[in-house]
Formats: sequence, C-alpha cells, structure tokens
Amino acid sequence: MSLGEGQSNLLVPFLRVLVRRDVLAGLLFIAVAALGLWLSRDYPIGTALRMGTGYVPRLLCWLLLGLGVIVLVQGLREAQDARPLSADDISALRPVIFVTASLVIFGLSIERLGLVVSILLLIGVGAVAARGLRPLETLAAALVLIALSWGIFILGLGLTIPVWPEW
Amino acid sequence: MELLHNLAVGFGIALTPANLFFALAGALIGTLIGVLPGIGPIATIAMLLPLTFHLEPTSGLIMLAGIFYGAQYGGSTTAILVNLPGETSSVVTCIDGHQMARQGRAGAALAVAALGSFFAGCVSTTLIATFAPPLAKVGQSFGAPEYFSLMVLGLIAAVVLAHGSVVKAIAMIVLGLLVGLVGTDGNTGGTRFTFGITELTDGIDVATLAIGIFGIGEIITNLTQPRETRSLAAQKITRLWPTREDFERAWPAALRGTALGSVLGVLPGGGATLSAFAAYALEKRWSKNSSQFGHGAVEGVAGPESANNAGAQTSFIPMLTLGIPGNAVMALMIGALTIHGIQPGPQIMSERPGMFWGMIASMWIGNLMLVIINLPLIGIWVQLLKVPYRFLYLAILLFCGIGVYTVSNSPAAVLLAAFFGVLGYVFTRLECEAAPLILGFVLGPLMEENLRRAMRISSGDPAIFLERPISLGLLIAAFALCVLVALPAIRSKREEAFQE
Repeated sequence: MSLGEGQSNLLVPFLRVLVRRDVLAGLLFIAVAALGLWLSRDYPIGTALRMGTGYVPRLLCWLLLGLGVIVLVQGLREAQDARPLSADDISALRPVIFVTASLVIFGLSIERLGLVVSILLLIGVGAVAARGLRPLETLAAALVLIALSWGIFILGLGLTIPVWPEW
Repeated sequence: MELLHNLAVGFGIALTPANLFFALAGALIGTLIGVLPGIGPIATIAMLLPLTFHLEPTSGLIMLAGIFYGAQYGGSTTAILVNLPGETSSVVTCIDGHQMARQGRAGAALAVAALGSFFAGCVSTTLIATFAPPLAKVGQSFGAPEYFSLMVLGLIAAVVLAHGSVVKAIAMIVLGLLVGLVGTDGNTGGTRFTFGITELTDGIDVATLAIGIFGIGEIITNLTQPRETRSLAAQKITRLWPTREDFERAWPAALRGTALGSVLGVLPGGGATLSAFAAYALEKRWSKNSSQFGHGAVEGVAGPESANNAGAQTSFIPMLTLGIPGNAVMALMIGALTIHGIQPGPQIMSERPGMFWGMIASMWIGNLMLVIINLPLIGIWVQLLKVPYRFLYLAILLFCGIGVYTVSNSPAAVLLAAFFGVLGYVFTRLECEAAPLILGFVLGPLMEENLRRAMRISSGDPAIFLERPISLGLLIAAFALCVLVALPAIRSKREEAFQE
C-alpha cells in the first residue's frame, strides 16, 4: 500500500483502518446524515398527523445516521487489514477527473456553442480519461459520433438543440 | 374468455407498424448491449429514458422492455464465445457455454441458449397475462397503510435477495429515499435539500440520477480496471443446430429453469441474475451428468439461460400490478411512466388496458424477433465484439451527456449527472450496491404520501400499521426477513449461494 508510507508511526495504523471499505462507507453515510440534519434544522417538523416539511427528512437522516454507525462499527471490528482499498483504487483519479470534466464542459457549452463544438470538446477531454487513444482515432470517433447524434437527435427526434455556435 | 379478448386487444396494439418498430428497436439495442461487455441494461435504459418522453407511453415502454429482455439473449452470446459475461445474468453461462464452444459446439450452445430463452419468454409472458389481473384486483383493495407496509416489505426483500452487506444496502435505500425528497414538498410547498439551487426545486429527475450513477459511474469504473484481453473463440460456427442428445438433455433443464426463473423474478430483488445463478445450482445438483458440469454440460447453458429470461420478464408483474419495482430496471420503468403522467399501480390495467395488454403482446413478439436476431445473424454480433472499449466508452459518454441534457433541456442536469457519476464510482469502490438507492429514490415520494395519508386516517396514531391485518402481515414478513438474514446459519448459507 502506497498510502501512509513515510508517515509517523502513529498515523500509519490509523490510515490502515481508515481505508477499509466498510469504515469509509460508514463515514460516508454518517456524513450525509449529518449534512441532512444540519440542512433540515429549520424545516418545520409538525406532528405525525400534520407532517411538516421536515418530518420525513429528519426521520430518514436519523435512520441513516444509525445505519452508518453500524456499518462503521462492522468495519472497525473486521479482521486486521480486511479488504482495504488498494493503491489502484486511489490512483485511479485520471478517469474520474477527465470523465467528470468532459461532462461539465459539455453541459456548459451545449447551449452557447452548439452540438458540434460541444461534442468535439466532450470527446477531446473525455479521450484523455483512457490510455491508448491516438489523436487521429479520437478525431475520427468524434466525427462519427457527431454525424450519429445529428442524425438521431436533430433529424430523427427533432430536438431543439442548437447545432452551431450562436454568435 | 376475457383473457383471449384482452390478448386480442393487446396484439392489435402491438402489431401496429410503429409499435412493431419500437419492439424491434428495443430487441436490437438490447442484444447489442447484451453482447457488449461494459454496458448493461440499467445504464442503457437510463440513457434512452429521455428519448421515450417524445414517444407514446406504450411505444416507449415496449422499447424499454425489449432492451431488458433482449440483453438476456445477447449476454449469452459473449459468455459462450468469449468466456466473458456480456451481462451479469450470464456469468454462469460462461462456465459450460464457453467449454462447449471450445469443444467446437459453439453453435449448439448458442442455439440452446436462444431457444431456451424463447421458450422461457413464451411461458413467462403467459404467466404475466394470467396472474397480473387478479393481483391488480388485490392491489386495488389496498389503502394507504397497506401500501406503505407493502413498500417497506418490497424494499427490505429487495435488499435481502441482493448480494453484499444487508446493512449497507438498507443504508443505500435510505439514502435513495433522501435523494428522492430533494425539491419541493408537494404537501406543504416547502423546499427541501435544494442548497438554494433553483434547478433543484423541481426535484431530481430519475433519468439524471440513473444515468449518473449507472451510466457515467460504470464508465469510470471500467476505465480504472486493467484492460481486459478478449480471446474470441473465433473458429467458424459451422453447425448451429444442436444434436438429438443435446435436445433431450436440454429441454428438461430449460423447463426447470423457466419454472425457477418465473418464481424468482416475481420476488422483489429478484430478476434475471438471481434466477440464472439459482438455476445453475439447481441443475448441478439434480443432473445425472453432474460430473460434466464445468466441462460443457448442455444443461448448464439451457437452465440458466431460460431462467434469466423468465426472471427478467416476470419481474414486470409486481411493477405492472402494484406499482412496486423489484429491481433497478423496473424502478426506471416506473420513472418512465411517471414522466408521462401515468401513476403506476393497480389502476393501470383498468385505466389503460391498451398499454398493459399491448406491452404483454409485444413481449411475445419481441421474443420471437430475438430468436431471429440472435441465431441467423450471430455473425454480425460477433463482429461487434471487436470494437475496443476505448471507442465504446466515448459513445456511451456522449449519449449520457445528450440524454441528460434532453430530459429538460437543462445544462444543470448534466453537471448533476457528472456529480452522481463520481458518486456511483465511489459506491462501487466501497462495495455499496447502487440498485437499492434507485429503488428508494423511486419509492420515496410514494412512501411519504402514503405515510401522510395513513396518519390522516388514524389521526396521527402509528399503531394503524399494526391494526390493519394486511398491513400487519406485510410488516411481519418484512421483519421476519430481517431476522432471517441476521441469523448466522442463514447468513453463511446466503454468502455461499452468492459465491457460486
């Protein structure tokens, strides 16, 4: 495991426990529940007969909090180093970043720059996510996909998406 | 002979040129994604959900259903020829199907899989037509407390039959219920969990959530995995027809697989994958030739392949009759109905008989089309396997993006889907299954509504759920399931069952 190496001796065992899947999952559920409880702090709760906006959300957040604690405890009680996240899981940031970025760029550009340009951007950025795509291959894929989407969405379904940039 | 009359109405609708076209489109897309590893029916249906907004609801449902059962046919092709499951429901088909292919009996394996699936499809379509109407009648007698308890049971049962940690799965349901609450509360008009973002006041669309978690999340997960090597068992498929001996051994297995799959499909959390696994275990235990399993036993192909198709189709029963989704695909179907303004539930059959019976008739037609698509045209699908994933994911990514945008012509939805995509990847890494989240998301608003109504009936006394006999029975069943899973003996047995 690459994570935690070279850290102080106290930190290493702590990190080992932290990267167990169930520990992380439990913490995730607890964090979401806490966020939900904080967000819903001002929602009127009402009574069971006349439920306010906050009744069901707060009920569910408490439930999620409890479940999160159970998952966390289960994770902590597992045998030493049981099913930790591997280094691969953590170093896999490349696809996460580029897939997300390509969609964000697509979303922001589609209305102003139109279908053709935004597809080029999406494919261009998205192609970085995988290793081994050659530039020419990417361009060819983009052209085929532009033709395909134009055929299906504009010609076939008649959607009102701008095709070219609006000046 | 009300059934025959209804079926006649159904065929009248399913046989219109438009609906025939959409059944064929669904079957083709289903086979395509079934053949291709790395994209499953949930992601595909999510991507195509926005397209169905522009169609008649019946045509849309016919196409989406075709994708689901078409994927069961296509998945077996990849399993047999490449030893790689095209779908999770054909994982077990790899074991004996690929062995048959290596012995030069690929054609026979493919034919047995397709014919077994077709047989199962015919039987389960008949089952839906027979049992859906009485079940819907039962559903119509349910009041708000019964409905609430039924949904609790449905969600719990879905979790118990799914694999992995039960506590985590229940937490995912609750998370889904919470995500379902985002937006404006229909009863009080107050907004919840919108973070002050205007786009969220209308709530999160089921297509956005599903495309994000299943479509985009799957892309990220696949890209982080080491590149797979596909070794095509590429010898020419010469003989497509199974031998007499193959037939004699395959048909009882197909019969058992169909029966098992039909039962397991109806259960919440059931459906194609569970049915296939259970059928393989059953065949292995029952067969006289059990030593041949793992070395190309034809029963090991016929049983699971019939079971997964039967299970895929009978899982429509609870969705169509009660409005309760048993798996993620059915949850998306309910989403599709809701978007068209159709309230899923027992009233569908009486209010929209054309849609209900048209869909059932189309399932039978679709299955017939699939046999033709899969057997004589097998060569085309094999060619498609040569498309590398690095091209495939670009296309999937683009269709996810356009799909989300067209839900409501909203750029914000694309950003939201990207966020859910990362979340979906995190869930996969943490071994939290996302299917329960979708079930919770779809049922969330319905559950809150029924809880409110039940409380109004009882003037705020939660004891109403225990006083109504049907509601009590459903809750006891849900509780019993929880206890059963918690028992150590059953727990180990359950883990064993999913190990296989």
